[in-house]
Amino acid sequence: MDVQINAALNGIKNLRASVSNIFETAITAEGTFLLEESIACVTQNFKETETCINNLNAPSVPFTLGNTSYLNYETDLEKQNMYNELVNGYKWYEKTHQYSAIASTLLQHNSLKRSYFSSSNKRRRLLTGAHTVPPKHVDHLISTFNVNNMQLKIYRPFATNAFLHINLSRVLKAAIILRGLMIEWVTVKGFNESLDNVDDHWSESRYEVFRRVQKAAHSAMLHFYSPTFAELAIRSFITWFGSYSTLFSEPCKMCGKHLLNALPPTHRDVRSLDPTHEECRK
Amino acid sequence: MGVTILVPYPLDNKKTGPEVVEELSKRLLAMQATQTGHFLVDGDVFESSFNKTKIHVMHNSEYPASVFSILDNGQKQIPLITDLIFDLLMLKVNPIYASRKQLKIESKGPRFELGDFLVKLGSVTMSQSQTFKGLLIEVDYRPCLIPIICWELIREFLQGFLGQYSPTTIPVYFTNSVPNPHHPVPYQKSNDTYQPIDTVQQYLEHFNNYRKQTIALMMGPNK
Amino acid sequence: MTSENQPIAAMDSLLQASKVNIIPNQEYLLQGSILDVQVQRLLHRLKGLCDNVETAPEQFHDYEACFSLRNIADEQAIHTAPLLLRVRRSNDPADSHMPWQLRYVGNPELGDTKRPTLVRSCFDISCSPSIMEFLTEMGCRLEFEYTVRGYLFRKGRMKITVSKIFRPMNQEPLSGSYLVELSLLAPVGADAVAEDMRVFAEKLKPLVILEKIDHRRIAPN
Repeated sequence: MDVQINAALNGIKNLRASVSNIFETAITAEGTFLLEESIACVTQNFKETETCINNLNAPSVPFTLGNTSYLNYETDLEKQNMYNELVNGYKWYEKTHQYSAIASTLLQHNSLKRSYFSSSNKRRRLLTGAHTVPPKHVDHLISTFNVNNMQLKIYRPFATNAFLHINLSRVLKAAIILRGLMIEWVTVKGFNESLDNVDDHWSESRYEVFRRVQKAAHSAMLHFYSPTFAELAIRSFITWFGSYSTLFSEPCKMCGKHLLNALPPTHRDVRSLDPTHEECRK
Repeated sequence: MGVTILVPYPLDNKKTGPEVVEELSKRLLAMQATQTGHFLVDGDVFESSFNKTKIHVMHNSEYPASVFSILDNGQKQIPLITDLIFDLLMLKVNPIYASRKQLKIESKGPRFELGDFLVKLGSVTMSQSQTFKGLLIEVDYRPCLIPIICWELIREFLQGFLGQYSPTTIPVYFTNSVPNPHHPVPYQKSNDTYQPIDTVQQYLEHFNNYRKQTIALMMGPNK
Repeated sequence: MTSENQPIAAMDSLLQASKVNIIPNQEYLLQGSILDVQVQRLLHRLKGLCDNVETAPEQFHDYEACFSLRNIADEQAIHTAPLLLRVRRSNDPADSHMPWQLRYVGNPELGDTKRPTLVRSCFDISCSPSIMEFLTEMGCRLEFEYTVRGYLFRKGRMKITVSKIFRPMNQEPLSGSYLVELSLLAPVGADAVAEDMRVFAEKLKPLVILEKIDHRRIAPN
């Protein structure tokens, strides 16, 4: 029974994904060919969902709710919310369980990592490194940064690791995802693009110029990375990144022009912080 | 949405409007731009039956779900942004505010994308007879929101594409000082975050110029 | 470059949409009231009947102002009913980025006894906060204003609000009871929804009796 319900739910999920895919292709695609293909995909998914649903049969016996059914007898108005809370708590717990199982298998497969990970249950000495810095220390360090035109804010959507949001002088927004003091990812977006949702951190900017800046930021992140001087690394990165406050207003140091291929100078030298076009630098 | 600069393109008598649009389109395509459909900006005027108040109701195909209205009572302008259904409401206020059909103006033409730039070549026509009035070129630099920061960059772009006809200074719309409701010192649009209504207001200024020219022409022979 | 990809003027597409009746511009409405002391029971009942179980009841705290527009140039028109426009915005600071709401409400049609609900034409228009100044400059007169606090429920397309009206100046309640409204916005010709509303209103009896109420009869003049 459970298997069938799961199959049906998966079918619906696929159907929804393919329908939203249609709208995405309708926005971006030039020809009708891609659109026809995704419509065919929807029809296919629809059929599958239908067969899944037909396989389902109504439960013959009522579900046993265990001890929770006693909550039915509760008469106090204020305590009637307990059932909702219980259901939410249960859902949350199930989700954590599922996510951690997936995360654990993923981490075991990934051999390219910059930090240590061990799934053995044996207790071992905590290795000190850039990625195991207590949150208080990170907060304190970030509060000492003082770069012109830059506003910094710390979010912690995932427990201890900080997301550092940067507003750079009404020019751009960026998020630096930290693991301890080590920079793991940088996202660069336009001032009018959203970074409020956690998912926004993994989508690219709509604008070519910020995609270029993000690329440059990623290479700078690796350039400044240092396993022993983590504080220095992040400090230099932030200072370097601050030079983008003149992204639109300062011309290229090499060719003296603002635009090349309809783009402003998106590259900043890691030492002199001079702006250049990607194509102009030697 | 980003900073948009609207420039009228002067027409000499050598070339007609469609010819210039054709030529500029070719130039843009040679610069590796891609044409992405057409655009349309239109403006209606509703005039009060008992005083001089005018309501300009405008649409911009870049924001297809919005209506931009600007109320002009001679002393100040009040902008209002609403849903499309506002148009139906304007039909309800009809006898009190009546539509001046002969003053309806639209600017339409091809829309191009070049990297983060958006270029629109608009042919301006007026009233139901669709009389051709001139050309308005719209350049939108989408990543940036503060006009003063990216003006030099846009100027360079305009120069590369319009040559001698490109403007050398930022349009007056951005340098006029605007009273600030929260602060005694007036501010300039050039240092403020750009809003879609700013594009519409630039269009309105140019549309009103065309309207004045037409009215002056109509009055001219009588004098 | 075919004529197909030319953008259609906004007004034309809107008139087209209203011709094929896809713009929800009719409001179906039933109203009633309940004493303050009994309101918890009603909320509890609604919580069981409505859709938004996990989040219900959704609370709101709004400000509303009513404007009227008369044609003062026309002698004849002075005796006809003025155009009424309502502006509503949330008082909750968390909603400060939400658009304001402009609402045009036409004259109510009660119909005969067979028709289960009151029907009136209605436009709900989201707008920017400049609407107050805009309407004032347009020549509209502020008729009255109030704040309203209450709870919102949904059942399918139906909207159920249980709310209390306060004077805007001193936040003093206007009466000792809550206003209960059951409403639905639909395009012209969707009369079948009125029947669903009647059935739903039946379920709330005898806690609250929802009826068609003719506002013109209870007006002071």
